[in-house]
Amino acid sequence: MSDRRIFVDYIARTEGDGAIDIIIGPNGELKKARWEVWEPPRFFEAFLVGRKAEEVPEIVQRICGICPHAHHLAAVRAVERAMGVKVSEQTVLLRELLHYGDWIQSHALHVYCLAVPDFLGYESVIAMAGNSELLPIVGKALQLKRLGNDISCIVGGREVHPVASTVGGFTAVPEGSELRKLKERLKAAKEFAFETVKLAAKLASQPPYPDLVRKCEHVSLHDDKRYAINDGRLVSTEGLNVPDWEYPVWIIEKHVPSCNCKHAIIKGRDSFMVGPLPRVNNNFEQLSADAKAAAKEVGFTAPCFNPFMSIVARGIELVHSIDASIELIDELGDPKYEEPKFEYKAGESYAVTEAARGICCHGGRIDKDGVVQKWDIVAPTARNVYNLEKDFEEFVPKLLHLSDEELTLKCEIMVRNYDPCQSCATHSIKVRIRREE
Amino acid sequence: MAKPRIAVFKFSSCAGCQLELLNIEDHLLDVLGAVDIAYFVMAKRENHEGPYDIGFVEGAVTSPKELLELKKIREECKVLVAMGACACTGGLPSIKNFAGTQRQAEERVYTELWDIKSIPAYGIDYYVKVDAYLRGCPIDIGEMVELIKSALLGVNPHFRPHSVCNECKLKENVCLLVNKGKPCMGSVTAAGCGALCPSLNRPCEGCRGPANDANAASLAQTFLTELGLTRDDVRRKFLKYAGNTPEFRKGAEAV
Repeated sequence: MSDRRIFVDYIARTEGDGAIDIIIGPNGELKKARWEVWEPPRFFEAFLVGRKAEEVPEIVQRICGICPHAHHLAAVRAVERAMGVKVSEQTVLLRELLHYGDWIQSHALHVYCLAVPDFLGYESVIAMAGNSELLPIVGKALQLKRLGNDISCIVGGREVHPVASTVGGFTAVPEGSELRKLKERLKAAKEFAFETVKLAAKLASQPPYPDLVRKCEHVSLHDDKRYAINDGRLVSTEGLNVPDWEYPVWIIEKHVPSCNCKHAIIKGRDSFMVGPLPRVNNNFEQLSADAKAAAKEVGFTAPCFNPFMSIVARGIELVHSIDASIELIDELGDPKYEEPKFEYKAGESYAVTEAARGICCHGGRIDKDGVVQKWDIVAPTARNVYNLEKDFEEFVPKLLHLSDEELTLKCEIMVRNYDPCQSCATHSIKVRIRREE
Repeated sequence: MAKPRIAVFKFSSCAGCQLELLNIEDHLLDVLGAVDIAYFVMAKRENHEGPYDIGFVEGAVTSPKELLELKKIREECKVLVAMGACACTGGLPSIKNFAGTQRQAEERVYTELWDIKSIPAYGIDYYVKVDAYLRGCPIDIGEMVELIKSALLGVNPHFRPHSVCNECKLKENVCLLVNKGKPCMGSVTAAGCGALCPSLNRPCEGCRGPANDANAASLAQTFLTELGLTRDDVRRKFLKYAGNTPEFRKGAEAV
């Protein structure tokens, strides 16, 4: 009996470049279970040193084309905290609407273009579009994705890397009439979002997925008053509850023997998961009434520790994002232009936002002339790498009866559960040398 | 006519330009009907070997492995398109080329340097011949649709080599540089974005790289003497998205 190897050198339908390498011994024991990100490093943290504070949000959003808003808004808040910049309530609302636009775009993209093809047995959404029964669904999914993009365009100026948002506020604000047009489209999109939840629940209920449960710590932002997206405290299902700027204290990286990447752990504990499932688990009460109703209808109860239910959590968040966007548009009314103002001041601070795929952390030190001295970036996928490997360890032994091809696909699905963003995660993959003590 | 075989490749980048390919939701199904997407790992699980009619390359080249791949891709593609600022000029990753040595950059981010195989960041035409450029960070969707349509018709796409100011004037914007004293790079930056940022009151940052007759040195002097920017501020402006280009380098070296 020889070892069995499951190897995918370039995982498809995820952002960036990653690989899976799993080796199973002759008795079904797991000898190796790795998700390797081979995306080349771009050294953002290095070249941000020496740039100006107001450039940081513009530059860091370019870490990721799928969740630029999350990086941008975390950096904006970290810079504003460090320099003591206050922004208006209108700016806070616009930022939230901008980010919900990205969530709608990203979740629609992930559910229909990246995840659903797996469950329906298609290689891609392009192949799904070739089936006349599925074509209308693909069309509606693209419409929903466009709606998220249009929110981003109207509030921020563009789909990818918005331009109007900056330190201190917005260089231009949307017309109230434009926002109200969006509101009508959002109302019309509700029904399809409901259908998405139902479809996701149906797919996740296929065997073997319901049996693949693994309890682990789920971490997200939390705010008593609203569903946390751009601001809140850092909480977990294991009782973590700290201000978001303390993330460097509570989330640490540890070296693990025989593994070439640093593993993110909660101080004094172990691996944890971030993303839509942890968010829905920690913030179920703050979801919109309809999102809660959609969850109940498909029998989703929080807390849920089945990572394959992430797709359902994304569906629930789609419903919530539509409701939240409508509410924000009502609150904003007719936005008035306010000139973004800030002054350079020496300081150090950190902030966290919720990217579509989990907590996105930024922060650093700025000197009195507004020049960056140090900048720290930890993207959500970097948090999930270790946790995913634990999923492999738990689930692969349960799936040994599958053919290599099937098992490979299941492992890919385990990766895609996390909606990984490997460009973001790159710099967490830190190589270490093992030395005998 | 057989459907052209399209391939989409990724190097050191954020995937935003690839995402823009999917952000043409209203035309996407039409485009998918007109072309055969043979290789696009972010969107498909089944990807096929070359040769390809058109290859879109996203990202800067920052590792020896990418360089080897790029050379193979060039051989496999009849038409090679540099997609986005990183592939056109090195983009934001090229900032590291001007921020100390490669080793200093590595030491700031990593502890175990022996496994980092990174080289200075350049656009793809530093190494291979490129047939068309989709500029900008990210690319402009309108330009991309123009390129796809032109490719299907077998004609050259109509891109605009003149400066962003031309488009800004057509939009009847108040000039941010002359009237508001803001350090706008529009006068030396290639058009094609519809003057998006200045139209939203935000000075152009030069993400599309130099226009065909850019006088960067003169703009750098204007920033320094008339707008009161510091020398470091001016250098930061010109060594951002396209510091690798000789034109923008002149701007940085003029102060």
